[in-house]
Amino acid sequence: MDVFVCIGSSCHLKGSREVIEALQRLVAERGLEDRVALKGSFCTGRCTEGVCVRVGETVTTGWNGQNAAENFERYVMGALQHE
Amino acid sequence: MRGLTTEVGFVSLNKKGEELCGDRVEIIRHGDTTTLVLADGLGSGVRANILSTLTSKILATMMDSGMPVEECVRTVARTLPISRDKGVAYSTFTVMQVADDGVLTLLQYDNPSVIFLRGGVSLHYPQEELLIDGKKVCKTVFETKPNDIFVAMSDGVPFAGVGIQYNYGWQRDNIIDYLEANYEPELTAKAACALLVDECDRLYGRAPGDDTTVAAIRVRRRQQVKVLIGPPEHPEDDEKAVAALMDGEAKRVACGGTTSNLVARALGKPLIPSIDYFDPEIPPTARIEGIDLVTEGVITIGRVLKLARDYLADSARSDAWERKKDGASRLAKVLFEEATDIAFYVGRAINPAHQNPDLPISIVIKMGLIDELAELLRKMGKRVQVTYF
Repeated sequence: MDVFVCIGSSCHLKGSREVIEALQRLVAERGLEDRVALKGSFCTGRCTEGVCVRVGETVTTGWNGQNAAENFERYVMGALQHE
Repeated sequence: MRGLTTEVGFVSLNKKGEELCGDRVEIIRHGDTTTLVLADGLGSGVRANILSTLTSKILATMMDSGMPVEECVRTVARTLPISRDKGVAYSTFTVMQVADDGVLTLLQYDNPSVIFLRGGVSLHYPQEELLIDGKKVCKTVFETKPNDIFVAMSDGVPFAGVGIQYNYGWQRDNIIDYLEANYEPELTAKAACALLVDECDRLYGRAPGDDTTVAAIRVRRRQQVKVLIGPPEHPEDDEKAVAALMDGEAKRVACGGTTSNLVARALGKPLIPSIDYFDPEIPPTARIEGIDLVTEGVITIGRVLKLARDYLADSARSDAWERKKDGASRLAKVLFEEATDIAFYVGRAINPAHQNPDLPISIVIKMGLIDELAELLRKMGKRVQVTYF
């Protein structure tokens, strides 16, 4: 499954880098490297709600370094269970 | 000029404790003709500064307007004020002029001889001695080739290290060895100057005993760089903007997420953003087949602008961006070092991404960034063209 983190200007300023670092750490901790591919994306058109992360085909918003673990559980692990 | 142009650079160190440098470099560009004069005024401080300023300004202006060499030198000799205590009016000088047909004219009066590097190897060049108003001036005229570098210097360079590192300063042969050893084909005029002055500074133990200046001209092939920034105001112009970016032989750069998306769409190629942060403040770059560099927009440009200001400040000698891999550093390298001609295609659409109230980016600010960057690049001697869509 592909997870796209927006690295556009707006999301960047809202903390894309922290989100990417948190996701990289979570993926490594759980040994999900074979199942989850972290990628970058440019603007998904919902800047005011950033940081935006597209999980598979679903755009999720409001990510930051603090809630990344919680969101990972909810969106990424959730989507993996349905695979 | 046979598709050739020049790149110039200079770096000065002031004698320890002096506010003013007694060496002076004057550069005049006139179409594709470049005239560079390095003058070294007698003594140091204010007097030396005045002598070298007068000398370099007069010579550069007259040489640029195509006056005969003898006339230029005579005018300088008759204009300089005569020092009361020493009875001489004295400023040594080196004139390097590369005309639009690629022919170099060197005039040398009492400065250390110009070092000429071709393919990284120092070569001898013919000199003709002229006697003008009792002054012995050496003249050289010959045809240049791309990547030829001519390095002029004040006597603070060979004087470096006298009594500290070397008994008699480092001699011309040592200086040539040093330049040859550190030569790379991509070495710019400014980098060559910085390299040599840094070594002098080291030899002086960071306390220069004399004003030390190095100036260089490098002959190079023209390199066009095209940069598309921002989506056009009217979406129907998207194709026109991308066509402008793709037209002709050039290095191509796309700046901005929305911009990159529209370029990728127009080219029918995928846009592949990376997630590698080489610099925590600069968003990662992306890739599009056929485009040489794809970066984020306004944050990256903001950093490039800062790097450009630093680059033009005389004090900046070593530039970290030359080795860094973030988008701003890579764009700086393309614009400052590789480009001779730059075309900016600036889209004026109000970016919905920037409607975010947290983002301090307005269209006015964006336009201001590009205008200032264009101006700084012109100061670096680039031909810059800005087109709005």
